[in-house]
Amino acid sequence: MKTVVSDPVLVIGAGVAGLTAATQLADSGIRTVLVDRLPIVGGNAMDLYKAFPTDDCFYCFEGSRTRPGIRKCFYRSAILDQPNIDLKVNAEVTEISGSPGKFQAKLSVGPQYIDSKKCIMCGLCIERSKSFSLPSPQCQPQAVIYDPELSDEGAKKAEEECPTKAINLGAQPSEETVQISDIVIATGYHEMKPVSIDEYGYGKIPNVVTQLELAQILDPNGKSGGALVRPSDGGQVKRVMMVQCVGSRDENYYPFCSKICCVYALKHANIIMLERDSVQVAVVYMDIRTYDRHERYYRVARDAGVRFVRGRVSRLEACEDGTLDIIAYDSLLDKYLKFNVDLFVLSSALEPPKGSAELIKSLGLHSASGFVGPADSISENAVVAGDHVYVCGAATGPAEIPESVTQARAVVSMILQSRK
Amino acid sequence: MTETEEKADPPAVMIEPIDISKLDPDFREGIRSMPNGEELSACFACSTCTAACPIANTWKYKPHQLIRMILLGMREEVLSSEEIWLCLTCFECQERCPQNVRVTDIFFDCKNLAAEEGMIPDSIVGLAKELVDKGQLYVVTADWEREDMDLEPEVPGLSTEEFKTILKGTRTGQIVGGDE
Repeated sequence: MKTVVSDPVLVIGAGVAGLTAATQLADSGIRTVLVDRLPIVGGNAMDLYKAFPTDDCFYCFEGSRTRPGIRKCFYRSAILDQPNIDLKVNAEVTEISGSPGKFQAKLSVGPQYIDSKKCIMCGLCIERSKSFSLPSPQCQPQAVIYDPELSDEGAKKAEEECPTKAINLGAQPSEETVQISDIVIATGYHEMKPVSIDEYGYGKIPNVVTQLELAQILDPNGKSGGALVRPSDGGQVKRVMMVQCVGSRDENYYPFCSKICCVYALKHANIIMLERDSVQVAVVYMDIRTYDRHERYYRVARDAGVRFVRGRVSRLEACEDGTLDIIAYDSLLDKYLKFNVDLFVLSSALEPPKGSAELIKSLGLHSASGFVGPADSISENAVVAGDHVYVCGAATGPAEIPESVTQARAVVSMILQSRK
Repeated sequence: MTETEEKADPPAVMIEPIDISKLDPDFREGIRSMPNGEELSACFACSTCTAACPIANTWKYKPHQLIRMILLGMREEVLSSEEIWLCLTCFECQERCPQNVRVTDIFFDCKNLAAEEGMIPDSIVGLAKELVDKGQLYVVTADWEREDMDLEPEVPGLSTEEFKTILKGTRTGQIVGGDE
C-alpha cells in the first residue's frame, strides 16, 4: 500500500528506542509525533545512573557524538531544535483506528502546567512549593515538573512570581486526533515490583529494594548525593546482598530470562565495591548470564571481591537495628550461609509495561510473553510487528541500550524504504 | 516472618548455618597475594577442576568447593581438610581450568600454611620422619629384585647422610620436631 508521504509517523514511547527512531526519522525529513506518558523523555534509562556497556550517561553512547549539542548529548538539540519532531509528554495514545498506512490516533494529553519553552529552570518555584521539582539537570524537556497532588499555597505564589510566566496552574487536559502513516511501538519495559513474592519481604521491609531503586540511590543526582544509604534511616550501608532471578525464569511470574539484570546487577556491585568505601557485596544467583561481551562485568566483579553464592535465599529476618539476617543455601558447597546485611537488592523481572496487552489486542499484533512479537516469526524482521506497525527496543522484550538503538535504526530504515 | 514474637520459634533451617561474619576475609587475600594466587578470584565455580580430578570422587570437599571455601574465607576448614594432602598433584585441574586458576599450586600454598600452623596429618608427619631419619623414602629391602637383574645387592655410591643433614635444617626437619 502506498503511503501518503506527508503523514507523520507516530512513535509511542520516548525512551532510548523511541528517541532514536524519532530523531532519525526527523533527520530524514519525516515528521514524527513522539508520545510519552511521563513528563520527561528518556524512559527507564533516566533511572539507570550509569548505563552499560559504556558506563556512561545514556544520552552519550557511541556513534551519536557528531551531532551539535551540549557536549555529546545529541538528544537535547534534537528535541529542542528539530522541527520535524512533535513531542508530546504527559500524553497517552487512547485509541488507534483506520487502516494500515492511514491510521488515526487519538491522543490524550495531560495538563501542560509548565511551558517548557519559557521555563529557565531558575528554581524559584521549587523554593516556593514542593509541588515543583526538577527530575534531573539533564531532563528533557528542560523544565521543572509540577505535581498537582502536592499543591499548596506556595504553588499559587510561584505561579505569580515566575519570572518568565511559565506556570499555568489552571491548565486543562486536552484531546486530539492525528492522522499517521506508520506506528512505531517503543513502549519499553517495566521493572516488576515483587510485592507478591513473600519470602523477600519487598514492600514490607524498607531496606529491601529493587535494582532500579538501588541505581537511584547510587545516582549522584539522587537524594543522598550518591552515598550508599539505607532507605529506612539514611544510615551508611556496609553490606549488600543481591538476589538474581526474582520473578524471572519463574513459571509463577515470568518464564523468560530478563536478560539484562545480571549485567546491571554486577554493574551496581562493581560501582559499590570500587567506588564506595568499604562496602561488601554478595550476589546470590542461579546462573550468571552476563552474555556476550558483558562477561567483563562478571570478571571485574570477581576481581573486586564480590562474594558469589550459587543458590537461593532460604530465610530473611528483619532485625531491630534495621539490618537483615539472611540465610542462603549455597548449592556449590551444599552448606547454609548466614549473612547480616544493611541492604537487600532484588534483581526483579522486566515485564511488559502497563497497556501493552491492550495495544497488542487493538492492533491485532502477536504477543511474545506479553511483549510485542514479530508479525512473521519465521522471517528475521524482528522489528516488523504488523502492516505499517513496527516495534523496537525493550517493547520486543528485555533489551540493552545498543540493541534498542540498532532496532530503532532498523525501523527507520524500513520506513524510509517504504516511502521510496 | 519479620515479627519479633516469632523469633522464639524453632529455626526454619535445622542445620546451623555458617556465619559469614565469623569467617576470615584475610584468608582469601592472603592466598591471593601469593604468586600462585593471582588468578584465585577469577574462579566462577564451573567445577572443571573437579571433573578433571582423578580422585576427587572420594573427597568430602571437591576441588571447586575448596576454592569456593578459600574465597569465602573458610580458613579453618580449608587448612584442616585432609583433601589438600590427598591431592596427587597431577595438575590436571590446573591444566584444564578455563580461568587460569592455579588450583594445584594453590593447594600447595594451603599445605604450607597448614604446616606452619602445625596442622599436618600423621601420615605426612610419618613420611617426613622417614625422610629425616633415613634420608630416603623408599629403602630398597627386597634384594632379590636387584639380584634378578644381575645387580649388586647395595646401591653403589648411595649416601643418604647429606640428605639427612639438609632435611633436618629445612621445614621437613621442623615438622618432625628436630632442631628449632
